[in-house]
Amino acid sequence: MDFINSIPTHMDFEGQSRAEKYSRVIITLFGAVGVIWGYIIQQFSQTVYILAAGFLLAAILTIPPWPIYRRRPLQWQKVRSGDSGEPSKKKKK
Amino acid sequence: MHSVLQRGNAILAYALSVLAFLTFLCFASTVFLDYRTKADMNTVKVVVKNVPDYSASREKNDLGFLTFDLQTDLSHLFNWNVKQLFLYLTAEYETPSNQLNQVVLWDKIILRGENAVLDFKNMNTKYYFWDDGNGLKGNKNVTLTLSWNIIPNAGLLPNIFSHGSHSFKFPVEYTTSRM
Repeated sequence: MDFINSIPTHMDFEGQSRAEKYSRVIITLFGAVGVIWGYIIQQFSQTVYILAAGFLLAAILTIPPWPIYRRRPLQWQKVRSGDSGEPSKKKKK
Repeated sequence: MHSVLQRGNAILAYALSVLAFLTFLCFASTVFLDYRTKADMNTVKVVVKNVPDYSASREKNDLGFLTFDLQTDLSHLFNWNVKQLFLYLTAEYETPSNQLNQVVLWDKIILRGENAVLDFKNMNTKYYFWDDGNGLKGNKNVTLTLSWNIIPNAGLLPNIFSHGSHSFKFPVEYTTSRM
């Protein structure tokens, strides 16, 4: 159970934005190549297969939270200790 | 985009939208093509009999028999938006009781990749040439035409008429002998 909980499932905001951008670019690119190739050899099924390959690649690259999508974690403030909050506020950078 | 399921949903939805757009491109690239082409046909043997039509009224109706030749090359009609052609041969004629009679005598499916250069000699019809009365005997103008349906991946299901037709006459006497 500890092992399962230790699998990271989280992307930071920057990472989510990049993951979405990458998936859009990959699928659009494969779709464009697929339609050109399918038109050249006059087989629409090849277009569909190439698009499916693009979908799989995008799924592998952007669905799991790879480390490159976790490089900019949010800088949370330190947990304040007790009720003497005034001094720590001034020290904040 | 904050969870695995949400990302999966988003890229699947986007991939399917792209697929719909590509299918539209496939349709748009073929919608204005001219699918008409030339077909030569000829009748070889034409007889007409007067026999009871048990499938309808049991009255004696005219039943035509004919064999035909057909030559056409349809291989250039196939493209990435044509899965198959459905050919059908129609006889069109006028009788005193009906201004327009149309009877389908024969049909054929050609899948993409199959031989589309047709050269048939002395073919029998597949379907009975019944008239709904006695309009075939001595009919001077029966016209055979070849048409086809294009079955596409995406888009319209057009009915195309070939260039070229053949007109023939039925004999003025019924044939009574067995054939």
